[in-house]
Amino acid sequence: MNSAVIEVLAPRYGIAWYPWAVQYFFLIAISYSSLLLTVPGLLFGKKNYESLAKVALLVTVSCTLVGPVALLADLHQPLRFWHFYANLTPWSWMSIGSLLLPVYLILVVVYAWLAWRPAMQVQAQGEGWIAKLSGWVSLGQWCAPRWMLVVAGLGALVLSVGIMVYTGAEVAIVKARPLWNTYWLPVMFVLTGLVAAAGLVILINRLMTGNDQEVNEQSLKVIFVTMVLSALVAALWVSEGITGFSPSVEQAFASLQRNPEWRAVAIYGLLVGVALTLSAIAMLRRPGWIGRSWLAGLLAVHIGWTFRWMVLMEVQTVAKNTAGYYHYAIEAGSSGLMGIIGTFGLWLAALLIIDILVPWKKSLQASTH
Amino acid sequence: MDKIRRALLGQIAKLTAGAALVPLSSITSADINDQPPRREGDPERRYAMLIDLRACIGCQACTASCHIENEAPLGNFRTIVSQYEVEHEETGNTATFMLPRLCNHCENPPCVPVCPVQATFQREDGIVVVDNEACVGCAYCVQACPYDARFINEYTQTADKCTFCAHRLDVGLLPACVESCVGGARIIGDIRDPDSQISRMMKEHYGELMVLKPEMGTAPHVFYLGMDERFVSRPDAKPAIWDVRDQQGEEIGYEFSGH
Ligand code: SF4
Ligand code: SF4
Ligand code: SF4
Repeated sequence: MNSAVIEVLAPRYGIAWYPWAVQYFFLIAISYSSLLLTVPGLLFGKKNYESLAKVALLVTVSCTLVGPVALLADLHQPLRFWHFYANLTPWSWMSIGSLLLPVYLILVVVYAWLAWRPAMQVQAQGEGWIAKLSGWVSLGQWCAPRWMLVVAGLGALVLSVGIMVYTGAEVAIVKARPLWNTYWLPVMFVLTGLVAAAGLVILINRLMTGNDQEVNEQSLKVIFVTMVLSALVAALWVSEGITGFSPSVEQAFASLQRNPEWRAVAIYGLLVGVALTLSAIAMLRRPGWIGRSWLAGLLAVHIGWTFRWMVLMEVQTVAKNTAGYYHYAIEAGSSGLMGIIGTFGLWLAALLIIDILVPWKKSLQASTH
Repeated sequence: MDKIRRALLGQIAKLTAGAALVPLSSITSADINDQPPRREGDPERRYAMLIDLRACIGCQACTASCHIENEAPLGNFRTIVSQYEVEHEETGNTATFMLPRLCNHCENPPCVPVCPVQATFQREDGIVVVDNEACVGCAYCVQACPYDARFINEYTQTADKCTFCAHRLDVGLLPACVESCVGGARIIGDIRDPDSQISRMMKEHYGELMVLKPEMGTAPHVFYLGMDERFVSRPDAKPAIWDVRDQQGEEIGYEFSGH
């Protein structure tokens, strides 16, 4: 029997995770990704990666500090956050995350503190309130052995893997949303996180240091490699859906069938992805163009953020039960636009405060010992 | 959805409804995202609901009475009756199909293990409830429910859902929606008691019962009699709702389109 069905009555379901969630996933992904970018220069002490490590460390610390604020804001009962620690729930990914996150944050801060400390100790010799503050923050003039930095760095790296796994798994296990329910999602979060982190490093490099060409080059290489890998992952995901290898991906496709908006999104994603990859190649090959890397940097940050917006916000508008799509118009209030702007504002503030107080452009501990 | 898949889904829907009669011994294990142990409630019982769609006239009395009984905010519903207009493409004849929806009090509820503070839990009698003193409003459970049975209550800022009116069942009353159902389409009861009305009806109609979205593996405990396969999962339908707004542009309700 062929029949046309009209759903005459359906309640409107709002979205349950707000743009705060996008901000958290964005900032925390940049945090663990730029932590990785500090490894060669800071942890291994490779001289030619030191400039990259300096910028990446600043990016890591600022994002690590602000990310959890956005996470807290996404709770409808933020003052009850202590319930996470009063009711440990080892079978819930979100609960596991609530244990990993503070440890990760502390390790990142200790790692950065140890890296910046020698320069802060020098700064403490000077006059004025910043010198005084530097003295307090560096806790005396004793020399911290390098193994402390290595331990903190390795610890932060181990925890960062935990953050990658939990943020990915938390979303990917939700069977109710077939578009999330794939092993590739956590991988994609990490890859696009690396793209965005490298992009942000390029931007900071342009705005706050002297547009160091080596930093641009190294970051562009990271962007190129991760974009190629992302394309591969996207292709695998699509082929799982087409071949029916993964029923959940197949369902995900079915849920978007005949929807022109989602098709437009897919085409747009393909276009900006290709544009970024090609411009990264072009800038790496033409010596004159590398100074303009910030353009690629902007595009990279855009891709990292928009990917999370599409995954976390737009997927929520795909109805689970009823016909059609829920409409989600971003609100002006604290759960919408103000939340997005507010988080970025807070991040900028964190960046500037660190910039004022910490001589982060000076040599890192890696080279002073 | 093509015909074969639809039929297949219908079969799964029936099988899943059948499998639920063999009570799954509470699945407890320590793996991440596995079901935690149940707590509270009477372990001797297993509440379930049977909805006889042949008796549902789509009057929304359940929707309204549940709304009043449970004080849900305007625009949020613990239960709602989806209404579909089905038009035969060759003859042009139309028929309506009513589908009351509520929490399925699943045997394997994906909303439970995700909760980071154990605020959402399943009682020993199968009822899935939220302790809204403990809930942090993370909305993870709202995402995890495949049936859109949950929402964040804007008054309490915590998760809200159908509780099978546990507060009424526990004192020997029927749920508001059952009480108010004009056609007597909603039957609630203990399926561990072989003499309960629901057990008798389930035995009588074994093989005809279906559950929603069986492919999700949730083992729902709201069983439908007189169900049409095409509506088991997200139906292939066109939406036709219009917002009704007041003069200030505030949304106050919905209206059918083209009527
Ligand atoms: S229907 Fe949804 S809310 Fe109810 S028990 Fe199942 S998963 Fe949980
Ligand atoms: S919203 Fe409340 S009940 Fe739902 S998962 Fe979060 S804490 Fe648990
Ligand atoms: S059992 Fe109670 S809470 Fe559930 S739908 Fe019926 S009236 Fe609403």
